[in-house]
Amino acid sequence: MGDHKEQGSVTRRDVLKLAGTAAAFCTSFGFLHAGQKVGAVQDKHIVQDKHIQAKWEQTEIRWYAGSTLLHSASIPARVAKHLAANANATVEVKVFQSGQLLRNLGSIQGKH
Amino acid sequence: MEFVLDRETPFSFACRACGRCCSGKVIMAGPHEVLGMARHLGLSTTEFHALYTDNGGTTLRFDEAGRCVFLNGAACRVHPRRPLVCRLYPLGRATDGAGDEKFARFPKEEGCEGTFGTDGTVAGFLESQGVGPCVEWSVRYAELYRRMLGLLDRLGVEGRVETEAAPGPVAPASSSAAGGPEDRSPISPWQDIDASLAEHCAAKGVAVPESVEDAIALHLGAMAEWLDDLETRAGGKKPEPEGEKR
Repeated sequence: MGDHKEQGSVTRRDVLKLAGTAAAFCTSFGFLHAGQKVGAVQDKHIVQDKHIQAKWEQTEIRWYAGSTLLHSASIPARVAKHLAANANATVEVKVFQSGQLLRNLGSIQGKH
Repeated sequence: MEFVLDRETPFSFACRACGRCCSGKVIMAGPHEVLGMARHLGLSTTEFHALYTDNGGTTLRFDEAGRCVFLNGAACRVHPRRPLVCRLYPLGRATDGAGDEKFARFPKEEGCEGTFGTDGTVAGFLESQGVGPCVEWSVRYAELYRRMLGLLDRLGVEGRVETEAAPGPVAPASSSAAGGPEDRSPISPWQDIDASLAEHCAAKGVAVPESVEDAIALHLGAMAEWLDDLETRAGGKKPEPEGEKR
Protein backbone atom coordinates (compact mmCIF):
# COMPACT_ATOMS: atom_id res chain seq x y z
CA MET A 1 0.00 0.00 0.00
CA GLY A 2 2.69 2.42 0.96
CA ASP A 3 4.74 2.10 -2.23
CA HIS A 4 7.81 4.28 -1.90
CA LYS A 5 8.88 6.65 -4.62
CA GLU A 6 11.63 9.17 -5.02
CA GLN A 7 11.63 12.05 -2.57
CA GLY A 8 9.75 15.04 -3.88
CA SER A 9 7.67 13.11 -6.38
CA VAL A 10 4.07 13.12 -5.31
CA THR A 11 2.11 11.96 -8.30
CA ARG A 12 -1.41 12.72 -9.35
CA ARG A 13 -2.20 9.11 -8.55
CA ASP A 14 -0.95 9.67 -4.99
CA VAL A 15 -3.12 12.75 -4.67
CA LEU A 16 -6.18 10.93 -5.96
CA LYS A 17 -5.67 8.11 -3.51
CA LEU A 18 -5.14 10.61 -0.70
CA ALA A 19 -8.21 12.67 -1.62
CA GLY A 20 -10.31 9.53 -2.04
CA THR A 21 -9.25 8.20 1.33
CA ALA A 22 -9.94 11.53 3.03
CA ALA A 23 -13.36 11.67 1.38
CA ALA A 24 -14.17 8.11 2.44
CA PHE A 25 -13.09 8.81 6.03
CA CYS A 26 -15.03 12.05 6.08
CA THR A 27 -18.18 10.15 5.20
CA SER A 28 -17.71 6.87 7.00
CA PHE A 29 -16.68 8.45 10.31
CA GLY A 30 -18.89 11.53 10.16
CA PHE A 31 -15.83 13.80 10.22
CA LEU A 32 -16.73 17.19 8.90
CA HIS A 33 -13.57 19.22 8.64
CA ALA A 34 -10.23 19.60 10.33
CA GLY A 35 -11.62 21.44 13.34
CA GLN A 36 -14.21 18.81 14.18
CA LYS A 37 -13.50 15.20 14.89
CA VAL A 38 -16.47 12.94 15.34
CA GLY A 39 -19.95 14.17 14.61
CA ALA A 40 -21.16 17.75 14.72
CA VAL A 41 -24.02 19.99 13.78
CA GLN A 42 -23.68 21.49 10.32
CA ASP A 43 -26.18 24.04 9.08
CA LYS A 44 -29.39 22.25 8.23
CA HIS A 45 -27.85 18.80 8.41
CA ILE A 46 -27.70 17.05 11.70
CA VAL A 47 -24.76 14.69 11.91
CA GLN A 48 -24.98 12.55 14.99
CA ASP A 49 -21.79 10.60 14.82
CA LYS A 50 -22.80 8.48 11.88
CA HIS A 51 -26.59 8.75 11.86
CA ILE A 52 -27.94 11.35 9.49
CA GLN A 53 -31.55 12.34 9.35
CA ALA A 54 -33.00 14.92 7.04
CA LYS A 55 -35.20 17.36 8.93
CA TRP A 56 -38.15 18.58 6.93
CA GLU A 57 -39.26 22.09 7.60
CA GLN A 58 -42.06 22.42 5.09
CA THR A 59 -43.73 20.43 2.34
CA GLU A 60 -45.88 21.92 -0.40
CA ILE A 61 -48.02 20.92 -3.32
CA ARG A 62 -47.62 23.27 -6.27
CA TRP A 63 -49.74 23.75 -9.34
CA TYR A 64 -48.06 24.96 -12.51
CA ALA A 65 -49.19 25.99 -15.98
CA GLY A 66 -46.03 25.30 -17.92
CA SER A 67 -43.39 26.99 -15.81
CA THR A 68 -45.81 29.49 -14.22
CA LEU A 69 -46.71 28.80 -10.61
CA LEU A 70 -50.48 29.11 -10.25
CA HIS A 71 -50.93 28.15 -6.63
CA SER A 72 -49.19 26.40 -3.77
CA ALA A 73 -50.43 24.92 -0.53
CA SER A 74 -48.68 23.23 2.36
CA ILE A 75 -49.25 19.57 3.00
CA PRO A 76 -50.91 19.27 6.41
CA ALA A 77 -48.27 19.13 9.15
CA ARG A 78 -49.43 15.74 10.45
CA VAL A 79 -49.09 14.23 6.97
CA ALA A 80 -45.64 15.76 6.48
CA LYS A 81 -44.57 14.50 9.90
CA HIS A 82 -45.72 10.99 9.01
CA LEU A 83 -43.86 11.13 5.69
CA ALA A 84 -40.68 12.36 7.33
CA ALA A 85 -40.80 9.72 10.03
CA ASN A 86 -41.62 6.72 7.84
CA ALA A 87 -39.38 5.86 4.94
CA ASN A 88 -42.01 3.53 3.49
CA ALA A 89 -44.97 5.92 3.90
CA THR A 90 -46.66 7.15 0.75
CA VAL A 91 -49.14 9.89 -0.14
CA GLU A 92 -51.30 9.25 -3.18
CA VAL A 93 -52.48 12.11 -5.36
CA LYS A 94 -55.93 11.37 -6.78
CA VAL A 95 -58.39 13.54 -8.68
CA PHE A 96 -62.08 13.16 -7.88
CA GLN A 97 -65.31 14.59 -9.29
CA SER A 98 -68.52 14.23 -7.30
CA GLY A 99 -66.87 11.55 -5.21
CA GLN A 100 -65.81 9.52 -8.24
CA LEU A 101 -62.15 8.85 -8.91
CA LEU A 102 -61.15 10.36 -12.23
CA ARG A 103 -57.45 9.73 -12.14
CA ASN A 104 -54.64 8.59 -9.85
CA LEU A 105 -51.73 10.95 -10.43
CA GLY A 106 -49.24 8.86 -8.53
CA SER A 107 -47.70 8.77 -5.11
CA ILE A 108 -45.06 10.57 -3.06
CA GLN A 109 -42.81 8.38 -0.98
CA GLY A 110 -41.52 9.28 2.47
CA LYS A 111 -38.00 8.24 1.51
CA HIS A 112 -37.89 11.08 -1.01
CA MET B 1 -31.14 18.33 18.69
CA GLU B 2 -28.75 20.10 21.00
CA PHE B 3 -25.45 18.62 22.11
CA VAL B 4 -25.67 19.61 25.75
CA LEU B 5 -25.28 16.35 27.66
CA ASP B 6 -22.02 15.15 29.15
CA ARG B 7 -21.01 11.78 30.58
CA GLU B 8 -22.32 12.62 34.04
CA THR B 9 -25.76 13.76 32.87
CA PRO B 10 -28.57 11.59 34.28
CA PHE B 11 -29.79 9.37 31.44
CA SER B 12 -31.12 5.90 30.84
CA PHE B 13 -32.81 4.14 27.96
CA ALA B 14 -34.59 0.82 28.25
CA CYS B 15 -34.46 -0.61 24.72
CA ARG B 16 -37.21 -3.10 23.85
CA ALA B 17 -35.41 -4.20 20.66
CA CYS B 18 -38.37 -3.26 18.48
CA GLY B 19 -35.98 -2.43 15.60
CA ARG B 20 -37.78 0.76 14.61
CA CYS B 21 -34.62 2.85 14.95
CA CYS B 22 -32.96 0.67 12.28
CA SER B 23 -35.00 2.20 9.44
CA GLY B 24 -34.87 5.46 7.55
CA LYS B 25 -31.29 6.25 8.53
CA VAL B 26 -27.89 6.56 6.94
CA ILE B 27 -25.62 4.26 8.92
CA MET B 28 -22.00 4.98 8.20
CA ALA B 29 -19.35 2.38 8.82
CA GLY B 30 -15.62 2.94 9.09
CA PRO B 31 -13.11 0.36 7.84
CA HIS B 32 -12.57 -1.07 11.34
CA GLU B 33 -16.31 -1.48 11.81
CA VAL B 34 -16.62 -3.20 8.43
CA LEU B 35 -13.84 -5.57 9.55
CA GLY B 36 -15.67 -6.43 12.78
CA MET B 37 -18.97 -7.07 11.02
CA ALA B 38 -17.30 -9.06 8.25
CA ARG B 39 -15.55 -11.34 10.74
CA HIS B 40 -18.81 -11.84 12.63
CA LEU B 41 -20.42 -13.02 9.39
CA GLY B 42 -17.41 -15.11 8.36
CA LEU B 43 -16.61 -12.89 5.38
CA SER B 44 -13.61 -10.96 4.16
CA THR B 45 -13.95 -7.19 4.12
CA THR B 46 -13.81 -7.34 0.31
CA GLU B 47 -16.83 -9.66 0.30
CA PHE B 48 -18.58 -7.56 2.92
CA HIS B 49 -18.23 -4.40 0.83
CA ALA B 50 -19.55 -6.22 -2.23
CA LEU B 51 -22.60 -7.45 -0.37
CA TYR B 52 -23.49 -4.92 2.27
CA THR B 53 -22.10 -1.42 1.73
CA ASP B 54 -23.16 1.49 -0.40
CA ASN B 55 -22.06 5.04 -1.23
CA GLY B 56 -18.48 4.19 -2.02
CA GLY B 57 -18.23 1.64 0.74
CA THR B 58 -18.99 4.20 3.45
CA THR B 59 -22.52 3.26 4.51
CA LEU B 60 -24.53 0.13 5.14
CA ARG B 61 -27.12 -0.83 2.54
CA PHE B 62 -30.82 -0.50 3.23
CA ASP B 63 -33.62 -2.52 1.65
CA GLU B 64 -36.48 -1.17 -0.46
CA ALA B 65 -38.54 -0.50 2.66
CA GLY B 66 -35.74 1.61 4.12
CA ARG B 67 -34.59 -0.94 6.68
CA CYS B 68 -30.97 -1.71 7.50
CA VAL B 69 -29.75 -4.70 5.53
CA PHE B 70 -28.85 -6.45 8.81
CA LEU B 71 -32.28 -6.14 10.36
CA ASN B 72 -33.82 -9.61 10.61
CA GLY B 73 -37.30 -9.12 11.99
CA ALA B 74 -36.45 -6.93 14.96
CA ALA B 75 -33.03 -8.53 15.49
CA CYS B 76 -29.66 -7.29 14.27
CA ARG B 77 -27.50 -9.89 12.49
CA VAL B 78 -24.28 -8.12 13.43
CA HIS B 79 -25.26 -6.93 16.90
CA PRO B 80 -22.06 -8.04 18.70
CA ARG B 81 -20.04 -6.07 16.13
CA ARG B 82 -22.52 -3.31 15.37
CA PRO B 83 -21.10 0.09 14.39
CA LEU B 84 -20.49 2.85 16.93
CA VAL B 85 -23.50 4.84 15.84
CA CYS B 86 -25.80 1.91 16.57
CA ARG B 87 -24.24 1.49 20.01
CA LEU B 88 -24.68 5.18 20.79
CA TYR B 89 -28.30 5.36 19.71
CA PRO B 90 -30.51 7.08 20.95
CA LEU B 91 -27.61 9.39 21.71
CA GLY B 92 -25.51 11.35 19.25
CA ARG B 93 -21.93 12.33 20.05
CA ALA B 94 -20.05 15.41 18.88
CA THR B 95 -16.55 16.66 19.63
CA ASP B 96 -15.18 20.14 19.16
CA GLY B 97 -11.76 21.15 17.89
CA ALA B 98 -10.26 20.62 21.35
CA GLY B 99 -11.62 17.09 21.53
CA ASP B 100 -14.23 17.89 24.18
CA GLU B 101 -17.28 15.74 23.68
CA LYS B 102 -20.96 16.42 24.14
CA PHE B 103 -23.98 14.21 23.64
CA ALA B 104 -27.49 14.85 22.38
CA ARG B 105 -30.64 12.78 22.65
CA PHE B 106 -32.45 11.76 19.48
CA PRO B 107 -36.17 12.41 19.38
CA LYS B 108 -37.97 9.14 19.97
CA GLU B 109 -38.80 7.16 16.83
CA GLU B 110 -42.47 6.88 16.01
CA GLY B 111 -43.65 3.61 17.50
CA CYS B 112 -40.43 3.08 19.46
CA GLU B 113 -41.12 0.83 22.41
CA GLY B 114 -38.09 1.93 24.43
CA THR B 115 -38.37 4.21 27.43
CA PHE B 116 -36.17 7.10 28.47
CA GLY B 117 -35.33 7.67 32.10
CA THR B 118 -32.88 9.30 34.45
CA ASP B 119 -31.92 6.42 36.70
CA GLY B 120 -28.42 6.17 35.26
CA THR B 121 -25.86 8.39 33.54
CA VAL B 122 -24.71 8.87 29.97
CA ALA B 123 -21.42 7.21 30.98
CA GLY B 124 -23.25 4.17 32.32
CA PHE B 125 -25.28 3.86 29.14
CA LEU B 126 -22.16 4.11 26.97
CA GLU B 127 -20.44 1.42 29.03
CA SER B 128 -23.44 -0.89 28.75
CA GLN B 129 -23.24 -0.57 24.95
CA GLY B 130 -19.50 -1.26 24.70
CA VAL B 131 -18.85 2.15 23.18
CA GLY B 132 -15.35 2.67 24.66
CA PRO B 133 -13.12 0.78 22.18
CA CYS B 134 -15.17 2.05 19.22
CA VAL B 135 -14.62 5.67 20.26
CA GLU B 136 -10.90 5.01 20.74
CA TRP B 137 -10.56 3.61 17.23
CA SER B 138 -12.55 6.55 15.82
CA VAL B 139 -10.22 9.00 17.56
CA ARG B 140 -7.16 7.25 16.11
CA TYR B 141 -8.62 7.25 12.59
CA ALA B 142 -9.51 10.92 13.11
CA GLU B 143 -5.83 11.67 13.74
CA LEU B 144 -4.97 10.12 10.37
CA TYR B 145 -7.80 12.05 8.76
CA ARG B 146 -6.38 15.33 10.04
CA ARG B 147 -2.99 14.40 8.61
CA MET B 148 -4.64 13.70 5.24
CA LEU B 149 -6.32 17.10 5.25
CA GLY B 150 -3.05 18.77 6.19
CA LEU B 151 -1.27 16.98 3.36
CA LEU B 152 -3.93 17.86 0.81
CA ASP B 153 -3.67 21.46 1.94
CA ARG B 154 0.10 21.35 1.61
CA LEU B 155 -0.21 19.92 -1.88
CA GLY B 156 -2.62 22.68 -2.83
CA VAL B 157 -5.50 20.30 -3.49
CA GLU B 158 -8.81 22.05 -3.09
CA GLY B 159 -12.33 21.11 -4.01
CA ARG B 160 -13.08 18.45 -6.53
CA VAL B 161 -10.51 16.11 -8.04
CA GLU B 162 -11.36 15.06 -11.58
CA THR B 163 -10.92 11.31 -11.47
CA GLU B 164 -11.06 11.14 -15.28
CA ALA B 165 -7.57 12.62 -15.29
CA ALA B 166 -6.19 9.62 -13.43
CA PRO B 167 -3.74 7.59 -15.51
CA GLY B 168 -5.05 4.33 -14.13
CA PRO B 169 -7.28 2.82 -11.47
CA VAL B 170 -6.58 4.06 -7.97
CA ALA B 171 -7.75 0.95 -6.16
CA PRO B 172 -5.72 -2.25 -6.33
CA ALA B 173 -7.33 -5.15 -8.17
CA SER B 174 -7.74 -6.94 -4.86
CA SER B 175 -10.29 -4.45 -3.61
CA SER B 176 -12.33 -3.94 -6.75
CA ALA B 177 -14.48 -7.04 -6.52
CA ALA B 178 -17.63 -5.20 -5.46
CA GLY B 179 -20.57 -5.98 -7.69
CA GLY B 180 -23.56 -3.80 -8.45
CA PRO B 181 -23.52 -0.09 -9.17
CA GLU B 182 -20.15 1.58 -9.50
CA ASP B 183 -20.68 3.84 -6.47
CA ARG B 184 -20.89 0.79 -4.25
CA SER B 185 -17.20 0.01 -4.65
CA PRO B 186 -15.00 1.48 -1.91
CA ILE B 187 -13.71 4.94 -2.78
CA SER B 188 -10.29 4.17 -1.34
CA PRO B 189 -8.38 0.87 -1.16
CA TRP B 190 -7.69 1.66 2.50
CA GLN B 191 -11.36 1.05 3.33
CA ASP B 192 -10.89 -2.64 2.56
CA ILE B 193 -8.75 -3.75 5.50
CA ASP B 194 -8.27 -7.37 4.40
CA ALA B 195 -7.13 -6.39 0.90
CA SER B 196 -4.94 -3.53 2.06
CA LEU B 197 -3.30 -5.55 4.85
CA ALA B 198 -2.71 -8.50 2.53
CA GLU B 199 -0.81 -6.16 0.23
CA HIS B 200 1.00 -4.42 3.09
CA CYS B 201 2.03 -7.67 4.81
CA ALA B 202 3.19 -9.25 1.56
CA ALA B 203 5.41 -6.23 0.90
CA LYS B 204 6.82 -6.40 4.45
CA GLY B 205 7.11 -10.18 4.52
CA VAL B 206 5.04 -10.49 7.69
CA ALA B 207 1.93 -12.49 8.54
CA VAL B 208 -1.51 -10.90 8.37
CA PRO B 209 -2.89 -10.57 11.92
CA GLU B 210 -5.74 -12.88 12.80
CA SER B 211 -7.59 -10.93 15.48
CA VAL B 212 -9.80 -7.98 14.61
CA GLU B 213 -8.04 -5.73 17.13
CA ASP B 214 -4.55 -6.60 15.85
CA ALA B 215 -5.66 -6.09 12.27
CA ILE B 216 -7.08 -2.64 13.09
CA ALA B 217 -3.87 -1.68 14.89
CA LEU B 218 -1.78 -2.75 11.90
CA HIS B 219 -4.13 -0.98 9.52
CA LEU B 220 -3.65 2.25 11.47
CA GLY B 221 0.12 1.70 11.44
CA ALA B 222 0.21 0.95 7.71
CA MET B 223 -1.81 4.07 6.95
CA ALA B 224 0.48 6.14 9.16
CA GLU B 225 3.50 4.79 7.22
CA TRP B 226 1.80 5.66 3.94
CA LEU B 227 1.21 9.22 5.16
CA ASP B 228 4.79 9.46 6.51
CA ASP B 229 6.04 8.56 3.05
CA LEU B 230 3.72 11.01 1.30
CA GLU B 231 4.65 13.79 3.70
CA THR B 232 8.34 13.14 3.11
CA ARG B 233 7.89 13.15 -0.64
CA ALA B 234 5.56 16.17 -0.63
CA GLY B 235 8.14 18.44 0.93
CA GLY B 236 6.07 21.50 0.04
CA LYS B 237 5.95 20.83 -3.70
CA LYS B 238 2.89 20.59 -5.90
CA PRO B 239 1.99 17.13 -7.27
CA GLU B 240 3.49 16.10 -10.57
CA PRO B 241 1.67 14.20 -13.28
CA GLU B 242 2.30 10.45 -13.07
CA GLY B 243 4.24 10.26 -16.34
CA GLU B 244 6.57 13.18 -15.62
CA LYS B 245 8.19 12.17 -12.37
CA ARG B 246 11.95 12.28 -12.18
